[in-house]
Amino acid sequence: MKPSLPGASTDRRTLLRMIGLGAAATVGGSTLAGCSKEAGSKGTATKGDAIREVLPTHRPAELLKADIPGEGPIPQGYLSYPRQLVDAVTEQPGKGGGPIRTMSPWWGPTPPTLGSNSYLAAVNAKLGVEVNPSLQDGTTYADKLNAMLGARDVPDLLMVPNWEVDKVARFSDATKALFEDLTEHLKGDAAAKYPYLAALPTGAWEYSVWGGRLYAVPYPTDGPFAWALFHRKDLLDRAGLAAPTSPEELYELGRKVTDPAKGVWAFGSIFDMVQQFYGCQQTWRKKPGGGLEHKFENPAFKAALEFTAKLFKDGLVHPDTVASKGADEKQLFKAGKILMFQDGLGAWQGLQGEQSKVLPSFNMQPLPVFGVHGGQPVIWGSEKPVFFTFLKKGAGTDRVDELLRVLNWCAAPFGSREFELREYGAEGRHFTRGGDGSPVPSDLGRKELGGQYNFCRPAVKVTSGDTPNYVQDYLGYYRKNITLMEKDLFAGIKLELPANWSKVLQPTDDKIRDILRGRRPISDLDQVTKEFLATGGEEGRAFFAKALADNGR
Amino acid sequence: MTVKLKDATVASATGGVPPRRSRNRRPPWEEPPTPLGLFGKGVVLVLLVAAVLVPLWAVLVTSLASRETIDAAGGMVMVPREIDPSAYLTIFNGGQITRAVWISTLVTVLGTTVSLALTVLAAYGLSRPGSVGHRGLLFFFLLTFLIFPGLVPSYLVVTGLGLKDSIWSLILPSAISVFNLVVIRAFFMNVPGELLDSARIDGAGEFRILTRIMLPLSKAVIAVVGLFYAVGYWNAYFNSVLYIDDNDKFPIQRVLQSYILAGQSPNVSGAAVSLPGVTAYPPTLAVKMAVVVVTVVPALIVYPFVQRHFTKGVITGAVKG
Repeated sequence: MKPSLPGASTDRRTLLRMIGLGAAATVGGSTLAGCSKEAGSKGTATKGDAIREVLPTHRPAELLKADIPGEGPIPQGYLSYPRQLVDAVTEQPGKGGGPIRTMSPWWGPTPPTLGSNSYLAAVNAKLGVEVNPSLQDGTTYADKLNAMLGARDVPDLLMVPNWEVDKVARFSDATKALFEDLTEHLKGDAAAKYPYLAALPTGAWEYSVWGGRLYAVPYPTDGPFAWALFHRKDLLDRAGLAAPTSPEELYELGRKVTDPAKGVWAFGSIFDMVQQFYGCQQTWRKKPGGGLEHKFENPAFKAALEFTAKLFKDGLVHPDTVASKGADEKQLFKAGKILMFQDGLGAWQGLQGEQSKVLPSFNMQPLPVFGVHGGQPVIWGSEKPVFFTFLKKGAGTDRVDELLRVLNWCAAPFGSREFELREYGAEGRHFTRGGDGSPVPSDLGRKELGGQYNFCRPAVKVTSGDTPNYVQDYLGYYRKNITLMEKDLFAGIKLELPANWSKVLQPTDDKIRDILRGRRPISDLDQVTKEFLATGGEEGRAFFAKALADNGR
Repeated sequence: MTVKLKDATVASATGGVPPRRSRNRRPPWEEPPTPLGLFGKGVVLVLLVAAVLVPLWAVLVTSLASRETIDAAGGMVMVPREIDPSAYLTIFNGGQITRAVWISTLVTVLGTTVSLALTVLAAYGLSRPGSVGHRGLLFFFLLTFLIFPGLVPSYLVVTGLGLKDSIWSLILPSAISVFNLVVIRAFFMNVPGELLDSARIDGAGEFRILTRIMLPLSKAVIAVVGLFYAVGYWNAYFNSVLYIDDNDKFPIQRVLQSYILAGQSPNVSGAAVSLPGVTAYPPTLAVKMAVVVVTVVPALIVYPFVQRHFTKGVITGAVKG
């Protein structure tokens, strides 16, 4: 299900996968074990229909009317910060249980720990129970998870990013052995006891089922699209250039703005977005006559590949990107060294806010999506939650109830005091109010807050002072394009992929990358496709087709 | 620089002394270096030195650059425009870096001491032909070159010993490097048996022989192995990922990693959303580079002092394996 990442590097793990060491790889001090599936695993799939029976009944909880209402996976939008906050949770979640150990991934310097962190103290006082968070490096999280799960040493609440689930061997077995089955606590109307958990979108809950049982609380996505193609609208406007609406115009634009003498190139990585413009599916799509078609077999993919390879060949792509990974495209984009690159929409607000302080005219926008030669573009994405939070098994009904009450508190929606405390800390200490009433983090806030309680926040977009147009732009882009989003054929079906399939993805990506960069001719695509299908692709096709058939889709 | 010096000596040699004598100094089969050859060597050496120094230079300059300079350069700064110490003030202000430096120093000093003590004792025992079971033990040690304990068993042992979140978990699992053990053992084997016999006649026991005879004779190799261990401990990263949950006990490399990668979305599909785990306030490039400087400097300081032992220590071990 992973799209090809043209900028992806041949890293340590890739290399191992390529030389086929896989799970047995313990070279170099056992650092690499378990980055891949158990050899010979045929994969498993949870039946989709069993899923619906165990999901919580969805009950929206809107404390504050949204300015731009949410819709399915699109979050609610608020254009101003509310002057009046309400109490969302009246009863203290803590019920006298012991300290709650948690572990979450984190990408950044870690904040001070319990005992020397006033933010933790403030939230714990509200919760009425001592939560002791441990933040672990997100980039090596899978390694740590493998060791912890293997040794059956898990904290009370464990947060797992969705993409790490695929990296842990026999994760389904681990869920059963190590984590609490939440079905009876949250199934159907039972979830009403935890109103803010019941308010999380059903699309997110669908993915939290393993083996027909509900095992995790989801952290819903606030942006289901996988990528957007960002461009420097300020620079294009200044040059009097309009946003392109066809590949030809995109190419022409590239020609016009690329100026190596000034160190400016038009593009960073854009291949995934080009595929979408050409209407190519992310991985599989149903063939009209039945059966599944992989994207390599879709002529649109070849066309997208040809187009992008031409950009590389004609020198319109920044050399750092050509030289493969490691290019800090955000930095290049900020400095105006590249004018276009693809990134997750999640990168938008941070970049815009940060850079407009340095360059007030800075304006990054996703390029309006266009189709090719009258074709319909496709947008990749899914409602898959970003994280799952698991509860340690065997704690007893009361403790599970207490933990769920804590999670319910953490899921309190925008407009509540709970949301504000969790998101920004205590007023006066961790933030002050700006002129519009919205919280402005203080130095202490920046230092002490680190997503310690971000287990299952409700998705919301709020205007902030440094990015005044962001919410309208962001939600506007989504609302305009959501109908183009490819339907996830496997939504809610828990797939534990066959080992050969997982193993063949990276080497194939690398070959495609070589074609893009002109190191192999385009005609090699047929050969690459053949190799891909022979060494795991066909096995994957059979597996995915069976999963669909089993679920009557 | 070295090249220029060499050039100078060659030039003065040919200029100041009669040409014939200087030619005679060389053996007849060795041609005098041509200017082109010298130039070629010079270029290669300069490039090699640059490959090492330029990145370090860029790191240092960037760490001392202001935000505007970094933005103007679009990344790493090569030409210093000003000296702005604010990045260093930031990192030493928060407490985390200071604490991490202390922890890493402690682990390095303690770890190197423990490792050297264990390695020397084991190497001495294994180097004496008559010691009990030394063949079996040596075989056992060497086996670890081929068979690795694996991630989960190691984790189980460390947690089972109650070492999780203790700095010993950063030391004990890697206390003995068999490679270093073999190097020291080879060095010990090389010490003449007569020397030890004479000590024995004078009434010295094994411990006295080790401390009074072996160790003073093996200063070079001990220094080198000590440096290996120290650099290893200072740079160690992965054990702390596994065994240290407490964010207050992170060693410097772990903190460095968190600074360098801060604010970057993980490289995965589906990371399209705003990740709550990605800090909203990533440190500036200058701060990141300042942390790199703090991490690299100790090794740079230590190397020159141990360097003189290097050739002797390592080569002795290497050829006598």
